Amino acid sequence: MPIIEVKNLTKEYKLGHLTSLKQTALNTLRRLTFRPVHERERFKALDDVSFSIEEGEVVGIIGHNGAGKSTLLKHLANISKPTKGEVIVRGSVAPLIEVGAGVNPELTGRENIFLNAAILGIPKKVVKQKMDEIIEFSELEQFIDTPVKRYSSGMKVKLGFSIATSMEADILIVDEVLAVGDLAFQRKCFDRMEELIKRQGKTVLLVSHNIRQVQRLCHRVILLDHGRINMEGDPQLVCDSFYEQSDRKIKTNTELVQTRTEGSGEIELVSISLSDHSGQKVESLSYNQNCSIHFIIHALKELDEVTFGFGFHTTDFLYLTTHNSEEQLTIHCLAQGLYEIACTINRLPLLTGVYSIRFGITAGQAARTIFYGENLKHFQVVGKIPITVRDGFFALDANWKTTHIQK
Amino acid sequence: MKQKTKNLFHYHELIFALAWKNIVIRYKQAYLGILWAILKPVMLMLIFTLVKSFVGIESGDIPYPILTFAALLPWVFFQESASEGVNSVTSNAALIKKIYFPREVFPLTAMATKLVELAISFFILAGMMVYYRMMPTVQAFWVPAIILYTMIVALTISFFGAALNVYYRDVSQALPVALSLLMYASPVIYPLSLVYKTLIVEQAAGEWSERLFMLYTLNPLAGIIDSFQRVMLKGLPPDFDAMYPGAILTLVVLPFSYWYFKRAESWFADVI
Repeated sequence: MPIIEVKNLTKEYKLGHLTSLKQTALNTLRRLTFRPVHERERFKALDDVSFSIEEGEVVGIIGHNGAGKSTLLKHLANISKPTKGEVIVRGSVAPLIEVGAGVNPELTGRENIFLNAAILGIPKKVVKQKMDEIIEFSELEQFIDTPVKRYSSGMKVKLGFSIATSMEADILIVDEVLAVGDLAFQRKCFDRMEELIKRQGKTVLLVSHNIRQVQRLCHRVILLDHGRINMEGDPQLVCDSFYEQSDRKIKTNTELVQTRTEGSGEIELVSISLSDHSGQKVESLSYNQNCSIHFIIHALKELDEVTFGFGFHTTDFLYLTTHNSEEQLTIHCLAQGLYEIACTINRLPLLTGVYSIRFGITAGQAARTIFYGENLKHFQVVGKIPITVRDGFFALDANWKTTHIQK
Repeated sequence: MKQKTKNLFHYHELIFALAWKNIVIRYKQAYLGILWAILKPVMLMLIFTLVKSFVGIESGDIPYPILTFAALLPWVFFQESASEGVNSVTSNAALIKKIYFPREVFPLTAMATKLVELAISFFILAGMMVYYRMMPTVQAFWVPAIILYTMIVALTISFFGAALNVYYRDVSQALPVALSLLMYASPVIYPLSLVYKTLIVEQAAGEWSERLFMLYTLNPLAGIIDSFQRVMLKGLPPDFDAMYPGAILTLVVLPFSYWYFKRAESWFADVI
């Protein structure tokens, strides 16, 4: 029997503010006289969601902001009630929804451990036994008898996480908690989660925007989109699909962003276009395929000793590559007029994501910059990435071998 | 069933922990600490005694200060637990949005907190009894029952008020006004015997007198305060004639109040 069953779960919220006394009175009057009532607009946070989770499964829930992830968790933790449908949970639930909800600033760390334990339903004698372990895990030995209001924000989170994970429950609900504290503590939290999952075989529901974490920890991933289940199944497949969706969104968002150009006015960039291996004009490129970039420029004056350079950068301006025409093109003199500059790329090594193009032109013996622009054109790289090179921005061409050195 | 008792066990610990938290944070940075809790009844007693010297209120053979203090003890306890209870859900919004446990924990916690303050006031009462050379009799064993009854009355108001307050914050604004009006309708400044004398003995309102007295005793606090004074100061058993109208009213309203609270509870997290 599945430990969690969600059947046709629908949750509607009414938009806007609660009705005022006047509005309520008017509505009552309208109802009494059988006239239509002013209803507030409704919003479906969850729309007909069904799934079930077996004991010991680790399930990730991903989706963009407002997809309904937290609403779903609230229903599983019994905090909200469904508008329609049913949620059946067979077992005790430990909600780690935003750790530290019950931490009171006036109390000391130790007092807060007792208070939060009571809120989470941990019996007092269990807490007493585990007190040292909790304090040790939180790394707050020195400050444990200081009021929490004098803690740094990182310390508060550490305290909250330490308490929450010490609870023994059948189902653990985790909402964005691993992104806490410094790197070393994040590592510790991650290990603690892995231990709970792998060794103690707990059922875990994990909601995170850190897709890589979800992919690593979960057996199954559910992708929510506007309150509906968009995709469900193998973490690899679902996460890839989510990445592609986000990339598309990033691309449409960043297209509105202004490009950055500067120049001497001697030359103008007219357009940039991308072509795939067959010469077809495209908007997205494929990983590991040949492609080319075409720049149309308009020289307003006669120029000498012209070189071109272009590069790829990420949407947050991390320069990834550049390539310069210096050794391949020698242009002693460029007359007035329109030109097309093309550059072909062999087996594009960029991994999937959204990238942008920068482009520059220099002229004269001193190679002075007469045009330079960044963020000139956004494009998406798509395609199937082999498991060997998944992380990062580039595919590295490498070979492995083992040699037996000594017995 | 086993699960249910186990849950209940968890929640009594939770109520203690939350009440302890309320007390600790309220007085933590105050030099006088929990002594502030008794300031209210003591101040009111002094003011009433002062007023009494102008207007003259018959207090029988019991000195007026201790009589009014004995009235203030259950009254302040009732008033504070009702108003804290009504605000208890909205003031714990952060918890309600994050974690589930039965929401009646909050009004109950408010009550448990006030119980501690009541216990401290008892020391003052004991001190006054020593001063006036009054000995408690065996009737004092009624006190726990009277306090329990007071708690039930306060809970009746808390459940309904707290749930309604989630939707309409008007409740928390109106409540202090309503409660201070109720104080004048309760035998706090004057003893119940005065009302009895005016209405029943002297028949001041003619044929309406009995009905008016019944209406007066519909207020559960009338019976509570009078009984508290009787068992503590006079060594008499509670006067059930003055108790039953209020008790019946409470027992009729309590189920509705609780039902409304439980029904509204599912939407607290969405609305609060």
